[in-house]
Amino acid sequence: MTAPVARLTIRGVIARKWRIFLTILAVVSGVAFVSGAFVLTDSVKKSINDVFATLSEGIDIEVRTSIAFGDEATAERDPVSIDVIDVVTAIDGVRLAEGNLLRAATVIKSDGEPLRTSGPAFGIAWVGPDGLDGRTIVEGRPAAGPGEVTLDKSSARRAGYEVGDTVTIVGPAGKDDFVLVGLNGTGKTTNGGGASIAAFDPVTANEFLGAENMVDSIYIAIDEGADRDAVMAAIDVALPDGLQVITGEQSAEETAGAINDIIDIFGNVLLGFAAVSLFVSAFLIFNTFAIIVSQRLRELALLRAVGASARQIRTMIIGEALVVSVIATLLGILAGMGVAKGIVAIFNAAGAAFPSASLIVSPRTIVASTVVGVGVTVAAAIVPALRAARIPPVAAMRPELGFNSLQKNKRLVVGSITTGIGLVLFSIGVFGQPGGTSGTLGLSALGAILLFLGIASLSTTVAAPASRVISRVLPLPFRPMTRSVPGRLGSRNAQRTPRRTASTASALMIGLALVSTVSVVASSVQASFKEQLQGSVTADFFVSNGPGNFQGLPIAFSERLSELPELSAVSPFRAATAQVNGDTKQIGAVRGSAFGQLVDIDLASGSVESLDDGKILLHRDPARDYAVQVGDTLSILWLNGTEQQIEVGGIYDDATIAGNWLVGLSTLQAVSTATPTDFFIGAKIADGVDIEDARTAVEAVALDFPSAEVQDQAEFQQSQEDQLNQLLIIIYGLLIISIAIAVLGIANTMALSVFERTREFGLLRAVGMSKRDLKRSIRWEAVIVAVFGASLGIIVGIPLGLAVTTALPSTFITTTVVPVNTIIIILIASIIVGVVAAIGPARRAAKLNVLDAISTH
Amino acid sequence: MTSLSTAAAGAIDAFKIYGKDDSEVRALDGVTVTFASEKFTAIMGPSGSGKSTLMHCLAGLDSLTSGSITIGDTNLATLNDKELTLTRRSNVGFIFQAYNLIPTLTALENITLPLDLGGTPVDQQWIDTVVDAVGLRSRLNHRPSELSGGQQQRVAVARALASKPRIIFADEPTGNLDSRMGTEILTFMRHAVTDLGQTIVMVTHDPVAASYADRVIFLADGKIVDELDNPTADHVLDRMKRLGS
Ligand SMILES: Nc1ncnc2c1ncn2[C@@H]1O[C@H](COP(=O)(O)OP(=O)(O)OP(=O)(O)O)[C@@H](O)[C@H]1O
Ligand SMILES: [Mg+2]
Repeated sequence: MTAPVARLTIRGVIARKWRIFLTILAVVSGVAFVSGAFVLTDSVKKSINDVFATLSEGIDIEVRTSIAFGDEATAERDPVSIDVIDVVTAIDGVRLAEGNLLRAATVIKSDGEPLRTSGPAFGIAWVGPDGLDGRTIVEGRPAAGPGEVTLDKSSARRAGYEVGDTVTIVGPAGKDDFVLVGLNGTGKTTNGGGASIAAFDPVTANEFLGAENMVDSIYIAIDEGADRDAVMAAIDVALPDGLQVITGEQSAEETAGAINDIIDIFGNVLLGFAAVSLFVSAFLIFNTFAIIVSQRLRELALLRAVGASARQIRTMIIGEALVVSVIATLLGILAGMGVAKGIVAIFNAAGAAFPSASLIVSPRTIVASTVVGVGVTVAAAIVPALRAARIPPVAAMRPELGFNSLQKNKRLVVGSITTGIGLVLFSIGVFGQPGGTSGTLGLSALGAILLFLGIASLSTTVAAPASRVISRVLPLPFRPMTRSVPGRLGSRNAQRTPRRTASTASALMIGLALVSTVSVVASSVQASFKEQLQGSVTADFFVSNGPGNFQGLPIAFSERLSELPELSAVSPFRAATAQVNGDTKQIGAVRGSAFGQLVDIDLASGSVESLDDGKILLHRDPARDYAVQVGDTLSILWLNGTEQQIEVGGIYDDATIAGNWLVGLSTLQAVSTATPTDFFIGAKIADGVDIEDARTAVEAVALDFPSAEVQDQAEFQQSQEDQLNQLLIIIYGLLIISIAIAVLGIANTMALSVFERTREFGLLRAVGMSKRDLKRSIRWEAVIVAVFGASLGIIVGIPLGLAVTTALPSTFITTTVVPVNTIIIILIASIIVGVVAAIGPARRAAKLNVLDAISTH
Repeated sequence: MTSLSTAAAGAIDAFKIYGKDDSEVRALDGVTVTFASEKFTAIMGPSGSGKSTLMHCLAGLDSLTSGSITIGDTNLATLNDKELTLTRRSNVGFIFQAYNLIPTLTALENITLPLDLGGTPVDQQWIDTVVDAVGLRSRLNHRPSELSGGQQQRVAVARALASKPRIIFADEPTGNLDSRMGTEILTFMRHAVTDLGQTIVMVTHDPVAASYADRVIFLADGKIVDELDNPTADHVLDRMKRLGS
């Protein structure tokens, strides 16, 4: 860029700073999500990795059971016998070996309620004042015998306990009282990162936590000067089969890595927000530059007349976009840091206790934000820039010659082709399955983008007639508008520049198309899920851990329920990981004698009771995939390496609750020594027992398991549906952002055209139009544009939603629903959107001084 | 002496036709004309007679339906957009009736704009001469919005002169000005031709303005119908009456 072009560019941006302000805002929001995603993940990961590094500082070596397949970090391993500790201690070079034991244990607060934590609630074995696991005593002393406990300081405070108080704790086997003899901390912190930690001495822990002389793993420190590799080799030789030796660092890395994966999910959600908001922003940017170019027609033509080349004009407009994008990107990166900080603060307020981290802005964050912010902005400005470069110089004197009248046909053809390609790609993506799910997803996303672009381009053709129709048919409350002068003006203005109306509406269209698509799919999934639940749940009671508690129920609960005379059938639902013919699957374990009465799995062949004879049941889909029938055998490899040939005892049609694979409880117990917990427990009332009496009996047992929640059939169904709804709320949140940007877009366009029509408004005011009427006409125009965009969105979105619904597996979707309510809400909301977007521009127009307005050239 | 009499620009058999068939408008209907170097020529004629059209075509801002335009030795029809741009930049200057200046640039920046766009080094002495001649020294750092209409027009004249073009076209440059300011601009244009050796073609409706020129060409319905050398205002008025406008 040469100096004069650069000068023109900079001056151009400064002169139009208010006109591009909203554009900058839109880009900022997109970039903020990108940089926020990276800053958040980088910062939180760093601090979590630091915490784990601190925790494992003292651990040179760890011994644990090996797994046959799957992810080392998240596997539910079998425990290690405490006898191994002695074996390891005897080895040369081992200074200290300690059993690491960690089980679910809930603290009961001083008011009798269970302590709710954002993280898990743990009971652990305290391994001494110089323990290897980085835990410290911050007050009092460690628990030294039966009846003693320490709590982490933050949980003790929240539960209302001080050293010396008696604390009730619920363990896997039941509850007990302990004297609080001290407060513990982890590393440098005094909380467990959102978890509650109750520490007992190893013997008490073994008993109370029901560990049966097992520990989760063994932490080992070596003598000073000892060769770690040699010690590890020596330990490896001495260990019984099924155990493995790893370094402390590797163990810490694995654990941190598993948590990092979770944090990446947050990051990816934010990147999703970024993608949607940038796509919508691109329309806004395009629109702004297109309008600015047409407003500067004379100036640009004059430049051409005095000798600016087409390339210089192009460079200038793109340069302006570049300046805008650089400013927006810088602000966006800053805003992203705010986003990251905000999210950490929100989670911490909810009790997550993210270690306080300083924000990390890595080079990657800056590069990605810049590429995205600058790339999107400049790309969106290319078409307006090309159009600007085509302005003939003669337009300096004859502005009416400015833009070669649009080739309507060309636009129609291009729009149709783009729409067509988009539709084809989308269909292939949704219905075909080339190269697995990620390829499929990418293809449908690309298809949808092309489809949106195509429709956006086609919509120019219908913008004028559609605006006319909308201004006629909008319902009664607005009817008088259509006859009044402001009403007529507003509607004419919407028709006057169809291209602008269309591209403004397009931004809203995309947001609302996505909303309609999602709402069709979501309501169908919801309706189907409800239908399936109703058809399959026959249990009278369900017990599960309350919401937000990811730990399972202690297995003692179901054992106690089985003893109740008020109940005729009780079965827990447990889960395990195994490989079936080499594919990793989640397998449910239930009590065969009871499960059939609790859940109707729509058995096609075989019997549910066969589960108790060590057989396996499976859904018809995997049965088809593996080509098995009742009586055939499947090879099952359990996580700990045990391999079994299991006979198929039945095939069922309804997987809503059971999942695809079921085995008997006894099968699972015989294989694995991992501490079991239950997802939920189902129970059926015995004949002749009153439902209220049964519930009283169940709740009496539940008193000993404070985190458990007892639900009857209706409550259970409701809670299952609620879970699904929560997921949907996140998706809708994402889409609301895109709509917010579209509102910005409409406001922006209105503001720009108010500016452009300064003279016209002055004239209207001069001949006697009131400020109020002027505002009304602007508002009416915005409403027409918004309703046009919303209608397009709905017209595009609903078929897309129906297509997705059809493509989903039939086990998932049994009914298809078009959510009429949502659609009506969208339409009403779009009217509000129009009114809101017009507030600023209308106020501005009304503030114009009549004389100034007329004398502006 | 020979170089003085060469043509700075010319049109041969120029036709400019808008619309088709019934709605056809012949804005230029076979115009052949040459403009001598270092002369001040005025173009007059009734409204709609094709004056602006002729000028736009001569200046390479617009293209002919048929016929040819030459600037210096170059036939404009043979140039592509890029070459046309270069020709305008270095061989042609403009003064319009209004909207002459880029609002975001200062007076001086507007004056040197054609040079800057071409990356041509600024001949400071010449710029000083021009600036002093139009009397804008004290206003050079002002934006157009801070200048009066007359001052804006003077900046436009200075810009037209800045690159020492072969020819300057001015379309009613005084149309928006009061008579005192108009006189100022016309005197200066005269000065630019006589003393600075520039070539100017000016469209005007005003016989007094035309009297500053060396020669007046009369246009009616897209054709040249008359011309007059060394005009006075009275002569011009006389001819106009005769042409019935
Ligand atoms: N884009 C166009 N389309 C159709 N006709 C046009 C166009 N531009 C100019 N004309 C016609 O060409 C003729 C010449 O126009 P031109 O602007 O050259 O007149 P003029 O002599 O400059 O008039 P004035 O003195 O009013 O400025 C007029 O009849 C005009 O209506
Ligand atoms: Mg004219």
